Amino acid sequence: MNKSFLLIAAITFVTINLFSQPITNHQSPITIKDVWARPGAKNANSALYFVVQNNGSKADTILGAKSKYAEIVEVHESFKRDNDRMGMRQVKFVAVAANSKLEFKPGGFHVMLINLLKDVKAGTSLDATINFKFAGKIKVKAVVQEMPGM
Amino acid sequence: MKRLLLFVLLSFSACKEKLPVVDDFGGAHYNLVNQNNQQVLFPDILKGKIVVMNYIFTNCPDICPLSTNNMRLIQQRLKKEKIENVQFVSLSFDPEFDTPAVLTKFAEIHSLDLSNWMFLTGNKSVTDAIIKKVGVLAVPNDSTVFKDGRKIYYYVHTDRIQLSDADGKIRKNYKGSTINVDEIVGDIKNLL
Ligand SMILES: [Cu+2]
Repeated sequence: MNKSFLLIAAITFVTINLFSQPITNHQSPITIKDVWARPGAKNANSALYFVVQNNGSKADTILGAKSKYAEIVEVHESFKRDNDRMGMRQVKFVAVAANSKLEFKPGGFHVMLINLLKDVKAGTSLDATINFKFAGKIKVKAVVQEMPGM
Repeated sequence: MKRLLLFVLLSFSACKEKLPVVDDFGGAHYNLVNQNNQQVLFPDILKGKIVVMNYIFTNCPDICPLSTNNMRLIQQRLKKEKIENVQFVSLSFDPEFDTPAVLTKFAEIHSLDLSNWMFLTGNKSVTDAIIKKVGVLAVPNDSTVFKDGRKIYYYVHTDRIQLSDADGKIRKNYKGSTINVDEIVGDIKNLL
C-alpha cells in the first residue's frame, strides 16, 4: 500500500471521528448519555440512570446530584443480601476511573429522587445536574420511561 | 426395605410432577383492602384463579419497579397468548405508607392494567403475618425524614414473584427483578 493512500486514510479517519463526536463541553473529558428516569407520583420516589464516560487520563468522582423535581436527591446503590434479598443504601461518592465507562442502572447505582414535588409521567423529561469533583456540574435531561426500549 | 422402596417411589413421583407444591397460605383468612379501599378476604378472593403475586413497597425506587415491570410483561404476554384466569396481585409490606390512595396513584403513574391486577394493603399486623407465612422478609434498614416531618422507610426485602395454583397452593417462587418471562409463562401453562 502506498504512503499517500495511508495518509489520506488516516486524515479521513480522524476527520470523521472529529465530526461524529457528541457535542460536549470540550474542557471536560466526562460525558453523560442514555439518561432516563422512572415515572413517579407526587410525594413518591423516582430514580435516575445514565452512562458516564470518562475519556480523560485522570479519574473523577461523582459527589452528588441535584434536581428541582424532588425534595431530596441522593446517590444510592442497590445491594444483594443473602440469596434473594435486596436493599439499597446511600453512597457518598462514586469513582469514575480514567478512560472508563460507568453505568448507573437498575439493581446498581442510581440517583434517587426522593419525595417528588410533582407527578413525573412517562413520555416527559426531567432535568438534573450531576456534580463531579473535577468536571464540575454537568446538566442532564432524562427521558421518563419504565424501562429503556419499552 | 419396604419403607425404602416407598420412599424411592414417592421421590420418583415427586420428580415427575413438574411443579410441586412448595408452600401455601396456611388455610388462614386475612382481611385486607384493595387499591379501591374495598375489603378483601385473602386468599379467598383468589380462589379458582392462578395467581402471579409480588411483594412490594412503593417507596422502593430501584428493585420493586423491576419486579412490577416484569409483572406487566408477564401480563402482556398472557394477554397476547389469550391465556385467561390468571390474577395478578401486588401486596405491600409497607401498608402504613402504601394506603389505597397511594397504590391507586402508583398504578396510574405506571400505566398498569388493573383489569386482572389488584394491589393489596391493610393493617401492618396482617401484612406482616402473610409475608411471614410465605417466607418473605422485609426489614426497614434506612429512612428519610422530610421537611414536613413525614418519615419514609427503605426495606431490605425478599425480591419475589410467586406463582400459585387455582387452589391457593404456592407452586414456585422467582426472583422478581430478574425473572425469566418465558419460564413463568411456561409454568403457568403447566397449571392450566
Ligand atoms: Cu435508592
